[in-house]
Parts: sequence; structure tokens; C-alpha cells
Amino acid sequence: MNDGMHRFRYESAESFRMALFQIRDNKIRSFLTALGVIIGIVAITMMGTAINGIDSGFERSLAMLGYDVVYVQKSSWSTMGQWWRYRNRPDLKTGYSETINRIIESNPRSELSVAVPQISTYQASVRYLGQTVEQAFALGTNEDYLQTASGDLSEGRFFTPGEAASGDRVAVIGDDISSGLFGETSAVGRTIMLKNTRFRVVGTFRKQGKFLGLFSFDNQIIMPLGAFERVYGKNAFVTMRVKIRDQSRVAEAKEELLGIMRRIRRLAPGMEDDFSINEQKAFKSQLDPIKNGIAAAGIFITGMSLFVGAIGIMNITFVSVKERTREIGLRKALGARRKTILMQFLIESVMICLIGGFIGLLTSLGITLAIGRIVPDFPVSFSLGLVTAGLVVSVATGIASGLAPAVTASKLDPADSLRHE
Amino acid sequence: MPSNAVITMQSLSRYYEMGDQIVKALDQVSLEFLKNDYAAIMGPSGSGKSTLMNIIGCLDTPTSGTYDLNGQNVADMDDDELARIRNREIGFVFQTFNLLPRLNCLQNVELPLIYAGIEPSERRERAESALTRVGLADRITHRPSELSGGQIQRVAIARALINKPSIILADEPTGNLDTATSHDIMDIFGELSGAGNTIILITHEEDIAHCTSRIIRLRDGKIESDERR
Repeated sequence: MNDGMHRFRYESAESFRMALFQIRDNKIRSFLTALGVIIGIVAITMMGTAINGIDSGFERSLAMLGYDVVYVQKSSWSTMGQWWRYRNRPDLKTGYSETINRIIESNPRSELSVAVPQISTYQASVRYLGQTVEQAFALGTNEDYLQTASGDLSEGRFFTPGEAASGDRVAVIGDDISSGLFGETSAVGRTIMLKNTRFRVVGTFRKQGKFLGLFSFDNQIIMPLGAFERVYGKNAFVTMRVKIRDQSRVAEAKEELLGIMRRIRRLAPGMEDDFSINEQKAFKSQLDPIKNGIAAAGIFITGMSLFVGAIGIMNITFVSVKERTREIGLRKALGARRKTILMQFLIESVMICLIGGFIGLLTSLGITLAIGRIVPDFPVSFSLGLVTAGLVVSVATGIASGLAPAVTASKLDPADSLRHE
Repeated sequence: MPSNAVITMQSLSRYYEMGDQIVKALDQVSLEFLKNDYAAIMGPSGSGKSTLMNIIGCLDTPTSGTYDLNGQNVADMDDDELARIRNREIGFVFQTFNLLPRLNCLQNVELPLIYAGIEPSERRERAESALTRVGLADRITHRPSELSGGQIQRVAIARALINKPSIILADEPTGNLDTATSHDIMDIFGELSGAGNTIILITHEEDIAHCTSRIIRLRDGKIESDERR
């Protein structure tokens, strides 16, 4: 048995050496063969990178919404696009938040922490001297807003309870607006114009990036409720932002909030809700099928390209077996067993595939870095798992494509092979 | 059966099917080779000498009959057992040399030892001594492309000797060499025979055959004559 182990080791070493010779002697052929695997591996890793990227970008976006905040709104996020279902619901009122907070305070075991009103419009335009930023997201709220939102101030402060209560015309602005209007210089203390009303900038937010690449948090102008209503009226879009105490008890918190809202809306038992309680999970359940679809399509395309690559390798290995029939006969005459020959050709095809795999991974790494440089916002990631998967797939392709030719080679008749020209 | 028989064949036949015709390449051949025999197998093409050589060399198995090599019945062996016999008991020398072009002399000679599972340092030692024995001590790191035909065949002989086989089987070993070189090679076979090796060679050249001490002539798959000198 020990003898067999030694022989196996020496034969493998010899096969590796021969495979290297073979690849070195046929550089172009080996490269063209490996190209199938290279393309396959690039496809796999780019697909994996894209899926990982979508995933992490998604997580980042959901984190912006907050895992411990639920949103009471007129329509539901999880059935978006069915506006007619929500059209006849009565509007929400910003005053609900006070009622909710009173109920929370009167219940010491409440799952809820605080409710913050929000009234908003996407259509704001901000002016400063000659500069204008269009399509800004104007948002009226109170001093508790920051408890329910992500984002740090880069300069200045948020408005005070006093300013909120009296509806002072002060604003905290997002990074895109401040750089759009003031460039590199500080925005704090300047006076901006919303419609025809002057607002004093008291603070600016640090850059946050886009939510799912669609909606920018850097495009916001946040002001006291009263100030908002004076400029844009009371008919804008109202949301109740409700912070919950324990992220792991979202369901219980939503249940409590549902009861509170039904009381506020005076809904009799059995009547349908005329509002929706939304949370970031709704996006997840909407986007998961899309993500899975992309993954399935990607795996299919990748599989096709690897399959084509594998056929190429099988073909070239068959050619190699044919060309080296005499060598196979000679090796058998000198004492090589079937297993030895089988292993030699398998090692050869696996080695070509592994080399292809390595080149493929390096190529993908390059592409990933390039994308990261050109589009810094694009969430790319290149993980160890991806590298492992790439190499495992390469070896598997090598074995799958080399097996048939290797078996053919191992079964060649030694006497006939030696006579082969 | 004499105790010093290396090969004993009894009523050995090898038939091939060619379409619906059966070709009797070897027909009821009985033959014995003794230890230290130095024999030539001769015969016109189609006489069955290649088939006989393939069977002696365990590259092929007989259709019927028995073949004992060093007391082992080879006729019923499977592929891997035959590979082991070829590795341990038989040293091949071919007309077309059959060295691997990418390997140097030493590596070519070592090849059978790899299949025998011999460790690298011993492989090298034995390959060097085999190459020294055929007069190529100063060429061990040369590639076949850097050697003459005669030198290449000597490397092949060194490779055949390396595993101390029971028989050396040479198929037209001088067929691709000029006359002078042929005689050099035959001198080496003569020396090896003198040192106690059993050598069987196949040739169609009378003068080569006459270097040996036994000539077996085949015709139509049967032994026509078998004379010792």
C-alpha cells in the first residue's frame, strides 16, 4: 500500500511536469483553450460581484430608512403602483403625531418610542442669488426628526424645539443643495429662497448617497412644519415617522401602532384600514424576486459560457490524445497503468482550466477595480468566497471536460498505439 | 520443464477478425526461451513475428494457449497486471527509439522507475549507471534532439535495462540505423548477453540475426525452424 502511495506521488509529479511541457510547447493553443474558461470565470465573478453589490447597496439603502422606524402613510410600499386602491383614503394629518405621542406616553409598556410628523414635496426649487437647484425634496418636521433618520450634520445645527414650535424660517440642507448653491464655501448663515420666502440655513448634512440609486438623501431641505405649510400649503404628502423601541419586536410595534391609528381614524371593527404602516422590509420583499431573477439569469448565461469553454477543452484534449497516441503506447509499454494515463490527461485539462481560472479572476478583479474607480457609487465587492467558487468551478470544468478524452486515452491498446504514425 | 526457462509458450494462438474472415496471425505455437538466451525471431512480413513480439512483451494476449513468464501465467492477466509485468519483467527497445523528446536522457531512462514507484534519488543513481553502461555517461542531460541515432538507441537500451527485466525485447532495433551504428548496437546486445541477460530481438536482416545464438524463423503464423548455434 505504501508502495502504491509512492508510485501515485511520483506519477502525479511526472504528469504535472508533462502537463507543463505540453502547455508550454503549445502556448497559443493552450491560451485559446483556456479562453473559454477565462470568459466563463469572468462571467461568474462579475455576476457574483454584481449580485453581492446589489445586496450590499440594498442593505445600505435600507439602513438609511432605519431598521427601527416605521412609516404611517396613505399608501403601501409593498403594493406600489396600485394607486387607485389608495386614492379615496382620507389624507393623513400632521397633528396625528401629537395624539400618537400622548398615547405612547400614557402606556409605560408601549413598544413605540416617538412619532414625528413629516410633510413633504419633491417639487421644491431653491434659489440663492443667481443659482437655482430644482427638484429638491422639501420636508417639514419637528425637532425630533433626527431620532428617526440617518445622517449626521457636517456643519451647524438642527433647528431647536422653539424654532419648530413657532415655525421659524430656518432650514437644514443636504450636501447636494449646499454644494449646488454655495460650492466649497459654507452654507450656514446664508439666506436661501424657497418660492418667495427667505430661509436661513442653520445646518448642513454630510453626504449620504442615494437610496437604491433612485432617491437622494442629499437633496433635502428640512424645515419646521409651520414654515413648510406657509410656503407649500397643507396639502402636501404627510408621513408619520414612528420610532420603535426594539428592532427585534417590529411586528408587535406595528400591531400597537395599527391600533392607535385606527383609534385616531375612528375605524369601527371590521372596517378596512384607510392608511398603511410601511417599513424597510417591504422593499426587501419587493426587490428579492428581482435579485433572484438576475441571479438565475446570470447563472444560466455563465453556465452557457462555461459549457462552451468545456467543449473546447474536451475537443483539444481529444486532439492531444490523438497526437500523442504513440507516447501513450510507449508509456504503457514501460509500465504505465490505465489510471496513470487517465490521471495524466486529467491533470493536463485541469491545469489548463486552473490557469484559465486564475487569469479570469485577475481579469475580473481588474474590471471590478476599474468600475469602482469610474463609478464610486456602484457597490462592487470581490470576496474570497467568489475566488474559491471560481477556482472550484475551474477544476470541475477541467475534470468534466477532460474525463472523456482521458478515459479514451487510458483504454488505448498499447500494441496498436505503438504502431500509430 | 527445465528450471531455467524464462518463457514457456504452449499451443499459443492469436486470431484476428477481419470482417467475416479470421486471420490466424499465430497458430498453435509452442516455444521456450531459457535464461541467458540470445535469440532472433525472423520471418517475412505477415509471418506473425510482430504478433509474437506483442504477446511476448505482454502488449497483447493470446486467443488460446498458455504463456508462462517467469512462472506467472500471463495469458489471463488484466490490464493493470500486464502493465506491472511490462514494467518489471520486460525491457523494450523499438525500431523508432521512442524516447520522449521533451525529456533529457536521464529523465527518459528514469521513466519505468517512476511507474515502479522508486524514489527520486535511487532513480537517478540507477539511470546514471545504466547510461554509463551503454557508454553515455557524458550525455545524461542531453535531449534526444541533441544526439545521433546510435546514441538515441543506446539511451533506449539503457531504459530497457533500468528495471533489471527478465527479458530484453528488441523490435528491429537497428532498422533505422546505418550499418556501422547497427554493429555498435549489436555489440552492446552482445555484451549484455555476455553479462547474463535474456535477449529476444526481431529482425529481417540476416547479418543482424547472425550476431545471436539462436534463430527462430516464422512463416504463416507457425514456426518454420528454430536453430541454436
